[in-house]
Amino acid sequence: MKMKKLTATILSGVMAVSLTACGGGDNKAADTANSAATDTGNKAADSAEKAPDTEQAQGGVELEVVTTFAGNDGNAQTYKKFYQMWEEKTGNKVEDMSATADDTFKVRVVTDFETGSEPDVLFFFNGSDSNNFIDAGKVISIEDIRAEYPDYASNLDDGRIPKSWVDNKAYAVPVNGIWEAMFVNTEILDAAGVAMPGADYTWDQFTQDCQKIKDAGYTPIAAALGDIPHYWWEFAIFNYNTPENHLTVPESIEDEIGKGWVAGMEDIKALYEAGYFPENTLSAKDDETFAMFTEGKAAFLLDGSWKVNGIASACQSDPDDPSTLDTEKLSKFDVTYVPAKDGRKATDLIGGLTSGYYITKKAWDDPEKRAAAVDFVSYMTSDEVVPEFAQHGSSALKNVPEVDENVFNELQIKSLKMVAGSTSFTGPVQDLFQGESRVPTFDGMPEIVTGSVSAEDAVQEGLDIYWSSDL
Amino acid sequence: MGANIYKNKKPLFLFLLPAFIFMIVFLYFPFFKNIVDSCMKIKQLGTSGEVWNEPWYSNYTKLLTDENVRTSLKNTLIMTIVTIFGQVGIALLLALMVDNIKRGAKVFRTLFFFPIVVSATALGLLFNLIFLYDTGMINQLLTMFGRQELIDWKSEKWALFTMMLPVMWQYVGFYFVIIVTGLNNISEELYEAAAIDGATRLKRIWYITVPLLHNVLCTCVVLAVTGSLKVFDLPWTMFPKGMPLKSTFLTGTYMYYQTMIVKDVDYGCALAVMIVILGVVLSRIVNAIFKEKDY
Repeated sequence: MKMKKLTATILSGVMAVSLTACGGGDNKAADTANSAATDTGNKAADSAEKAPDTEQAQGGVELEVVTTFAGNDGNAQTYKKFYQMWEEKTGNKVEDMSATADDTFKVRVVTDFETGSEPDVLFFFNGSDSNNFIDAGKVISIEDIRAEYPDYASNLDDGRIPKSWVDNKAYAVPVNGIWEAMFVNTEILDAAGVAMPGADYTWDQFTQDCQKIKDAGYTPIAAALGDIPHYWWEFAIFNYNTPENHLTVPESIEDEIGKGWVAGMEDIKALYEAGYFPENTLSAKDDETFAMFTEGKAAFLLDGSWKVNGIASACQSDPDDPSTLDTEKLSKFDVTYVPAKDGRKATDLIGGLTSGYYITKKAWDDPEKRAAAVDFVSYMTSDEVVPEFAQHGSSALKNVPEVDENVFNELQIKSLKMVAGSTSFTGPVQDLFQGESRVPTFDGMPEIVTGSVSAEDAVQEGLDIYWSSDL
Repeated sequence: MGANIYKNKKPLFLFLLPAFIFMIVFLYFPFFKNIVDSCMKIKQLGTSGEVWNEPWYSNYTKLLTDENVRTSLKNTLIMTIVTIFGQVGIALLLALMVDNIKRGAKVFRTLFFFPIVVSATALGLLFNLIFLYDTGMINQLLTMFGRQELIDWKSEKWALFTMMLPVMWQYVGFYFVIIVTGLNNISEELYEAAAIDGATRLKRIWYITVPLLHNVLCTCVVLAVTGSLKVFDLPWTMFPKGMPLKSTFLTGTYMYYQTMIVKDVDYGCALAVMIVILGVVLSRIVNAIFKEKDY
């Protein structure tokens, strides 16, 4: 069955609305996500036969490219396939030095820029991680590239291309975006007599449902607060904000947004005290609580779009082979909106296009590499290639392709529908709130929920570090 | 010419030079740079410090007031004691027992040494599964034997035990092999003479084996103490970020946490300096206490 193109159009409309929503906030503009879905299967075959046409390509150029499409990244093989096709088409060579996007990788990228050994093309985060090399003028803005190559990234909606927090210019050409929402184990909901939450889900309903689930002998929420409190942190704060002001870091706990931050932490503490998190939530790792969710021991899981495939993998007898998917097991999982409280609507999601392709100054200044680098990025962000990466996620494409539901599993289709009903996408404020400032409320979450540190003190300490940082 | 070629020491310096340069570049220079960095403001990993901290020693005063530093020092001290008694002590016990059996000694040697060849990270993951709360091996066994409630082996109450047990277990084999080698060097005649004089097996161990193993045991203790200061990968794999409630930090894991997770790089440098000082002081104390004897 083919999903109507209308859905895709609606999604684009939703994103247009969200653009306005994300305009404010600390001059560190939030990016927004195009919720359009794209098909993969048939198009994969098509694109394999017909490579996208890009501007130009001179043979014999060797490009050093670093991306995060490596290791367990779901797009590692897709990336490899397309850069090899580009090599074949142009006669150029890609020296691929991609690695998993962890702290070591980030350090490597920063060090490479510091020591002048940066790559020619880099697929990297567009948040605060990129501030240093943008500030140092070591990458070229899209605007500057367009001065010479007017069609560069012209297939993408400029409004959805995130701007740098350094100078409010766009540098990274995005491919695929992310969203965060609440996954649900419907089997537990049925056993506890709880209805599937919808678009108008409130915090009160949520806590009532949690109690029912707990009374039925299950763990209501799968979360490792001692390891990854990030999603709860983000939404608990967002609950007291709106998409317009969510990306504003408060100056203190006394201002309106600051009070919301404290209230958000208090809400998590209340959930902990009510016993809605796993008993070992302070000592467990994220993968342990995720296993609780997939094994039918916990009902709700707050996580990101990347977990759609993770849940499907958990329903496969061979995690690497989608053909071994137990469709009946997967049908017991659903995805919905995070319960709302005083500020945002439940349908206001966290999400965005958080990474993209940069062309470095080193490549731009090299007459041999300039055209090849532009051509490579244009190819990898073309209308044909982007859908292969974005899959059921989001992208910034102007021409949203039709969606063929046949190539998606049930949870992916549910995700598409959930995203279709969203009213806005806002970037995570934690991307602004990095490093040491996070410690009191992220790593300090166990202290907050156990009461050894008050939410006020923890939030204020984090804000003090944030605002006193002159780095 | 003849034997004179051996009197010319100049070529020796030439051959020593590569190793010396290597040490300078990869050990001494980073070490002294680390001391300088601990007094500077460093934006992020991979970047150099450009301005001095105000005051320049602020990271060192922070060390004195940081509660996690106290926790990590306390845990490291416990780890040192555990390694001395848990690793060297058990290794000695096992070595004495294996030394007294006639057949199968080689099998035991291999079995006890085996954990050393497995990477600490892999062992960390393995013990993570063993101590898992929900579906861990130990909790499953306890449930099988009728226990109703699961034990959270990684909770604050049990965390140190759960962390130190695998560390201890991993290195027992290492010291076992060293001690067995030492035991093999003790002449059989001494035992025979003692047996003729009517010494019991226990007395032979106490009056012959232990004194003659003194130097070997001293080496083992020095290695164990310095090793305990470097323990990192297994605890970090099992208890990242000092989980739970920052109660499992060791000096090494806390330095890593500050540098890689918190990204307070210059404070991480100060912690590194503290670890070096601690290592030097502890090893000197241990060397003074467990001085080797000349026989």
